[in-house]
Amino acid sequence: MKKKWMALVLTMIMVIPGLVACGATGTKATTTASAKTYKIAMICDSTISDGGWGAACYNAMVAAAKDNGFETQYTDGISSADFASSMRSYADLGFDLIFAPGNQYTDAVKEVAADYPDVDFALLNGTVETKNIASILPDAKQIGYMAGALAGLMTKTNSIGFIGGMELDTTKAKLACYEAAAKAVNPAVTVNSAYAGSFSDTAKGKEIAASMISINDVDVMFGDASAVDSGAREVLAGYKDKYDIGQPSDLLAIQKSDVVICSVVTDNATMLGLCMKDVMAGTFGNKTVYGDLSNGALSVGTFSSAVSEDVKTQYLAAVEKIKAGTFIK
Amino acid sequence: MEAIMNVNFIQELLLSMVRMATPILIVALAELYSERAGMVNIGLDGMMAFGALAGFLTCYITNNPYLGILAGAICGILVNMVYAFCTITLGAEQIVYGMAINIFAPALASFIYKIYFGINSTLISNTLMSAVPIPFLSKIPVLGPVLFNHSPIVYLAYLLVPFTYVFFNKTKAGLNFKAVGEFPKAAESLGINVIRKKYLASIICGGLAGIGGAYLTTCYIGTYSDGVVSGRGFIALSAVIFGRWMPGGVLLAALLFGFTDALQLRMQVLNSGTPYQLLAMIPYLCTLFVLAFFGIKKAGPKANGRPFFKEER
Repeated sequence: MKKKWMALVLTMIMVIPGLVACGATGTKATTTASAKTYKIAMICDSTISDGGWGAACYNAMVAAAKDNGFETQYTDGISSADFASSMRSYADLGFDLIFAPGNQYTDAVKEVAADYPDVDFALLNGTVETKNIASILPDAKQIGYMAGALAGLMTKTNSIGFIGGMELDTTKAKLACYEAAAKAVNPAVTVNSAYAGSFSDTAKGKEIAASMISINDVDVMFGDASAVDSGAREVLAGYKDKYDIGQPSDLLAIQKSDVVICSVVTDNATMLGLCMKDVMAGTFGNKTVYGDLSNGALSVGTFSSAVSEDVKTQYLAAVEKIKAGTFIK
Repeated sequence: MEAIMNVNFIQELLLSMVRMATPILIVALAELYSERAGMVNIGLDGMMAFGALAGFLTCYITNNPYLGILAGAICGILVNMVYAFCTITLGAEQIVYGMAINIFAPALASFIYKIYFGINSTLISNTLMSAVPIPFLSKIPVLGPVLFNHSPIVYLAYLLVPFTYVFFNKTKAGLNFKAVGEFPKAAESLGINVIRKKYLASIICGGLAGIGGAYLTTCYIGTYSDGVVSGRGFIALSAVIFGRWMPGGVLLAALLFGFTDALQLRMQVLNSGTPYQLLAMIPYLCTLFVLAFFGIKKAGPKANGRPFFKEER
């Protein structure tokens, strides 16, 4: 008998917060119906405090939402199996726009968007255009070129590294262009690359960086793997003249680091803002918002003191060429 | 090819193996204690995640990684007590509660992190435990840096292996402990308090799993992010089966995982053209191969996974 009571009490403890949560959101939905406040939700497989990709995307959403008067909500640290169900619950809660920050969400977005024709989906790094899906596509090639050119100019050992999270189309493009650009500014460069197979396994990033340094004496690295990159930076921080190039936010502008020399900045906020305006105007869908150097969606971040004036001038000249499309044909 | 033959390469490879094997070893030993008392605990990943957060927070607040490890152990025990109460006292299905821990604990960890740091997008890092080289021994070429230049937790993990062996095979307490996992009815009839032994096993399991998680955020990497455990708990779980429920076997299994993982990362760096998925499979292929080759001649504890009811016939 005692056990049954205990089981009942435990069940109550588990169920009550759930009920309270449902109640709270229920009332919210009815109040917003009268005066329409648009709502955007973001899902993320890494976390918004990863100091890299997730953080940048979250900040972009918050900044864009502030400009356009959207309410924001997010769920982070979810696994691939939960992408679709997480988006479904936001759609059910009456969110107007769902922001999926990466190519890896493509299939889940397509699946959910088909079932919720009234909800709009913005897919970062996507290549899908339907009635309610719009893609936001920062030019991965230009990002790769920008990072590669700086890495090629900065390296002293002629050996540079690249860490990928998953083998996504955009990651592959970044790697290919990173290599091409580094070779263009410094023909003697060799590029080492490795994939962590994860965006959250920080320890793996540490091991990859350590192995690249011990095998090939890599001294400049660039990563496309969120929290994994911060592990790599920890290793690089143990050396005096080994550096990392950040992305997609301007890392040196938000926190101090001896390792990061510069960032390739993607201004997702502007692009996401355009999507929000479309949602409000009812013209959402069937298009891709492109972002590159010429429309200001990509830019060069803050330089650290490790970058000499000479390198800086050469690099900025290279960036101008990338912008004009004359850097690599 | 010449890069592979290099002494420096081998030393780095072995060093990386030891680093990567340590969290798996600690957590696999945690599971070993639990299973030896007849409890399959698949909630290792969850306890690690919670231990990782507790360790990180404590270390961040006090600047003392040792307190972080201690906090990790305590929190691991607390989380595992939920599992212990439900499976031992209430006799619930162990797999279900293990899974519940895996869902509940990481979510709680992430919740606490967000409450403490707010919605914050800068990466917070803390002090790492510094390595304590063992005098003289760490000067031995190749082997010295690989084995004797680590943080104390690493030494503790490896010392636990012979300790566990002696405990289970040479001491009365250890044999009693094993009896609980083999045939609890008989053990009870001989005056062993089965319930108390099972709770003891849960405390050891929770404590070690919490230390394994805290090791990640206080000795290995100085940051915490959700998903930092990355399935290491499940690898530890398989290391116990792979090591046939023996401490020596568990050590070998953990080292094999560490070695193959370190090797595959290096092979990726050496041959940038190879599809990485192929290389990332190596640790798992090795497991399959070894299991198929040696077979499972000796199964685990006989009463493993079964609830124990004192009055039941």
